[in-house]
Amino acid sequence: MSEITTKDIAKDSIPETKEKVRKPGLAINQFIPFIAVIALFVIFSITAKNFFTVRSILTLALQTSAITIMGIGVTFTIITGGIDLGIGSVIALSGTVAVMVALAGVPIWLSMIFGLLVGVLTGYLNGLMITKLKLPPFIATLGMMMVARGVALTITNANAWPAPEGFGELGNGTLFGTGPKFPGISYPVIIMIVVAFLFHFILAKTRIGRYTYAVGSNEEAARLSGIKINQVKIINYIFSGLLAALVGVILASRMTTSQPNSASGYELNAIAAAVIGGTSLMGGMGTVGGTVIGSFIIGILTVGLTMQGANYFMQQIVIGLVVIGAVTIDQLKGRK
Amino acid sequence: MAISEFVQVDTRSPSPTHEVILEVENVSKSFPGVQALDNVSFNLRKGEVHALVGENGAGKSTLMKILSGVYQADQGTIRYKGKIVNFRNVSQSHDAGIRIIYQELNLIPHLSVAANIFIGREPLTRFGTLDEKKMNTDATAILDRLNIHLDPAIQLNRLPVSKQQMVEIAKALSSESEVLIMDEPTSALTETEIDELFAVIHALRDHGVAIIYISHRLEELKRIVDRISIFRDGRSVSTDDYSAIGMDEIVNRMVGRKIENQFPPKQNVPTTEKLLEVRNIVRPGILHDISFDLYRGEILGISGLMGAGRSELGRAIFGADSIKSGEVIMNGRRLSLRSPSDAIKAGIAYLSENRKEDGLAVKMQLAENITMANVQEISRRFGVLSYSREMEAAQRYVEELLIRTPSLSQIVNNLSGGNQQKVVVAKWLFCNSKILIFDEPTRGIDVGTKYAIYELIGVLARGGRGIIMISSDLPEILGLTDRLLVLHEGSLAATLTTAETTPDEVLNYAAGLGTSIKGDVPTPGQS
Repeated sequence: MSEITTKDIAKDSIPETKEKVRKPGLAINQFIPFIAVIALFVIFSITAKNFFTVRSILTLALQTSAITIMGIGVTFTIITGGIDLGIGSVIALSGTVAVMVALAGVPIWLSMIFGLLVGVLTGYLNGLMITKLKLPPFIATLGMMMVARGVALTITNANAWPAPEGFGELGNGTLFGTGPKFPGISYPVIIMIVVAFLFHFILAKTRIGRYTYAVGSNEEAARLSGIKINQVKIINYIFSGLLAALVGVILASRMTTSQPNSASGYELNAIAAAVIGGTSLMGGMGTVGGTVIGSFIIGILTVGLTMQGANYFMQQIVIGLVVIGAVTIDQLKGRK
Repeated sequence: MAISEFVQVDTRSPSPTHEVILEVENVSKSFPGVQALDNVSFNLRKGEVHALVGENGAGKSTLMKILSGVYQADQGTIRYKGKIVNFRNVSQSHDAGIRIIYQELNLIPHLSVAANIFIGREPLTRFGTLDEKKMNTDATAILDRLNIHLDPAIQLNRLPVSKQQMVEIAKALSSESEVLIMDEPTSALTETEIDELFAVIHALRDHGVAIIYISHRLEELKRIVDRISIFRDGRSVSTDDYSAIGMDEIVNRMVGRKIENQFPPKQNVPTTEKLLEVRNIVRPGILHDISFDLYRGEILGISGLMGAGRSELGRAIFGADSIKSGEVIMNGRRLSLRSPSDAIKAGIAYLSENRKEDGLAVKMQLAENITMANVQEISRRFGVLSYSREMEAAQRYVEELLIRTPSLSQIVNNLSGGNQQKVVVAKWLFCNSKILIFDEPTRGIDVGTKYAIYELIGVLARGGRGIIMISSDLPEILGLTDRLLVLHEGSLAATLTTAETTPDEVLNYAAGLGTSIKGDVPTPGQS
């Protein structure tokens, strides 16, 4: 490529253009939520008794793990410009499949793999509907939401089947426990941390992550750059399905039963977490870190408000206002 | 060619029998880096069809946007019905009775004809609901007045484009318009549809409506035009009675300018080594059996009027649009034209006409855009990206192409048009592209940067690449290319050696006036 040196000839011919110098730094759409998490934490530590204790922090982490893991998955699909509404139902379906397969005598670990495969399959089907049948992601995944829920109810006959012994280990076990003072970090929390780091790495440091942003930022430019956009989208929906299934298996394990009605409406919380964390529903923007922060804002609010005695309805109102506020800040910033 | 004799603005006062409804006096308008209108004068009489012609960038659209209130003039006055006006926005010009019908129709496909005609001004019943009945009767009255026979209740998207255009005209005329501006109204119409449109235009003229008719299709003007004004480089060159001026003269005045200094000296020498063979490309209704070759070191132009299939041909070679049949052969290998990835692997690059729409991911960073089409190059095992390699590559191109940016991680949206274009070029150089298809590379770029882009194209060709340059700017094509293809309505009208052709010849072929010279295809070796 050494023959292209326009340097010498082009120097004189380029008119000076004054460009706004903008130093890249911590983006405001991640910075504000981050400050919000700290602020909420401090506020509840002061106002709510027992909020700032080891036990309640561990509880907070455990309760937030589900929404964080599924939020990370849905973040991928939102960055491509899509959405995944089916994840709540996929949680129920994968959990019930894992329990039913385990009940059929399959080893526990293998039954859980089956559960995860359910997520891979539903994600793949979502991807096919969106890329091959050209369905809008909203419609394709809305359909999947209904179908997956229906299948979960059908295979369990709408019953909560008790899982075989040992099935509850994944959801209820802990690590590094030292007795009653420090009961240990639950497996779901550890899984959440691993998932967050792994998927952050995938999104920020790998080719598929780069393609995810490219497709969401400008699908036609990505296509004309030779990126196989259908493949990228399908992989993203598989990620989303897989992470939802992971949550499904964990929840089934925590409850040690098949719960075909569980996780209804979770998808909206996960989407809210992504949006609070700075993911743009227009596509092209979002980070795993942002979604983790968004999840914790919702988690802290829920736990903190509960400890202050606010009821569930009050929590809904507050979280709803936070979503609206977070996106408003984003919009105001974009308008400048 | 003596330029001065063409630069005579018609300043005669209108004859008393011709009432002037709109008069533009010495209007100027500049945008950053571009003088779009330079002291333009122009007048429009009641009940005439007045053609406005000129090449792209001549200033026609800018003037129309000023007349409709989209832009405001920097200098000069506009007199409308004897009063000086200065429209601040489109609704002010609407209220005054000036309407524009754009090339792209501004209609709502899922509403009825009547609903479209009255959109924004729907008649209401006294209960505040839509008065469908009145809307339909009024719509019928307007359509009848124009001799258009349409059911006003029919849903718009059930109609062919020509009828939709009639609806657009009816919409424009529903509010007592006195001046109607039509921008390329025939570009999407068939011959019979054009006849219908012209009948409507005649009827309007007879009703005293003044019509500004903008068109690149010079051959159709004789059928409807009373007077013609020619614009060039933001200036009004002349206004004449159409009958007093010949086609040759129109073309001369449109292109008549010195073009030597706008372009860098020729740098590339085409070889006789075939780089690309394009054979029998067919895309029904758009491209008809097009074949050509591209040689190493050559700059090949693709010229033609709007809608002739210029961009479509470029996109077909690249595999961006699906075609019915045809082959693209590179290094003896037939490319799969199903998606761009095969073309990219083979070394073909397509630099899109709309940089922002489909060339760049403007929300992403400069470095990310440069590596976008060849992320493999900066990947380690398992698809993990190497940032140091990415930054190295980006730095190299920023230096080589002199991209002005505060940092490699600058968001591309914040770069100037010229620098964005360079980022696109860098993206394809990073793919080791052997053939670069430039689609309107200088659109929206200021004059100084244009020169730099021309130089860059020359340097790329000198380095042994093949360049295909698609452009609606004829001087640019003539100033830069070695050979050029002229397309007319999706067919190859001529393959010309640039040094031996004239602007008139190209325009003639582009307008479908020239005879086909297939079989006598010049190659770079001959000249």
